[in-house]
Amino acid sequence: MDSFLDQLEACVPALRRYARALTRNVDLADDLVQDCLERAISRRGLFRPSGPVRAWLFTMLLNLHRNALRASRRRGESVDFHTIPEPSIPAPQPGHIALAEMARAIDLLPLEQKEALLLVTLEGLAYGEAAEILKIPQGTLMSRLGRARAALRTLTGTPAEPHLRTVK
Amino acid sequence: MSQISRDQLMAYADGQLSPDERTAVEAYLVANADAAAEVALLQRQNDAIRTLFAPAGAENVPVRLKPQRLSAEIGRRRGQPWGWAAAAVVLLGLGLGAGWFARPLLDPNPASATLIADAVNAHAVYVAENRHAVEVGSDDSEHLSTWLSNRLDTTLGMPDLTAQGFSLVGGRLLPGEPDAGGRAAQLMYEDASQQRVTIYVTAALPDGKPAYQFASQDGAEAFYWANARITCTVVGTLPEAQMKAVAGAVYSQLTEGDVSSRPPYRG
Repeated sequence: MDSFLDQLEACVPALRRYARALTRNVDLADDLVQDCLERAISRRGLFRPSGPVRAWLFTMLLNLHRNALRASRRRGESVDFHTIPEPSIPAPQPGHIALAEMARAIDLLPLEQKEALLLVTLEGLAYGEAAEILKIPQGTLMSRLGRARAALRTLTGTPAEPHLRTVK
Repeated sequence: MSQISRDQLMAYADGQLSPDERTAVEAYLVANADAAAEVALLQRQNDAIRTLFAPAGAENVPVRLKPQRLSAEIGRRRGQPWGWAAAAVVLLGLGLGAGWFARPLLDPNPASATLIADAVNAHAVYVAENRHAVEVGSDDSEHLSTWLSNRLDTTLGMPDLTAQGFSLVGGRLLPGEPDAGGRAAQLMYEDASQQRVTIYVTAALPDGKPAYQFASQDGAEAFYWANARITCTVVGTLPEAQMKAVAGAVYSQLTEGDVSSRPPYRG
């Protein structure tokens, strides 16, 4: 029994879920997860953190994704949002945000906001762990989350935010 | 508690608060309809995101993503002198005698794995840089060559990759493995479409034996070889055929003086 590989295995469903949300493409997402796992296995002796592997894996996955995006931009490839298949959408219920609209809105977010938002909402990670994965201070994470949500509000056409007094 | 910040409302909606803080926020929401509406909206956004994307985490994991299997494959690759045949093809393509292959490395030298990892890592760090990609630019290539040669204790010419469409951006000195002189030089080249390749050179390893290896690591292709004078790793993310052409050109230029009686290469 190899506890390191077991720890990796336990993280695979979450890595797939997160990669799928980032890329909106099943094959690309699984390629990304495979690269991430191979990198983790080949570096296990050298760079492996002492604690749980989850944060380390997510950081690697994000770096691989950013590199792939940079490379595809250099090659001049672009993704046409209209070619991205919509996930199957249950009929919206009153008071709920239309899911197709939400999916499209998330695609339009700047990458750094999308990365942060999905770590916290989809993966349910504590702010501290999400900030550690992204290598940013927690205050920076909070402001990215705030900006992401304000953008989603606008993009999904939900009513303007009520005026709130902010306390420093 | 009479005032709650927006960050606290968000942390509440994200379930990040301690029980005490949660109680305080809940009391505040009862008395503040605006804040309650704000929190409800955040929660609806969270629910929508989970509804959209959570199902992917419940699917059966394909076999190719099983860590046990990936680990076995990586072990198998490392256990063989893999990449050897491919390296031989490239090197023979350069017209080198087969006698040169008299001492193949049947046990991959762990030092080579470390050097390749260092080279790929240095590549990833510096190709992403725009203004600080190199320490010394190519406009001062004579100084660059002299300086790096002195630091590595060997003659290091700047390979000319014009024929492959690459021009020299410049180079830098990096800390390296103690076994290989403790220093490394990185040369960076760029083509017209801003694709970059780097060449990572160190002094020879203690055994000075010839060795060659291809490796794919972190999405980059690396071609490594060592001889009695230097170790050199060419790193890039180009298509394989192009990587081989570049690696072959670098190899023949940097070893010209070492493996034949032709005059040494002058960079």
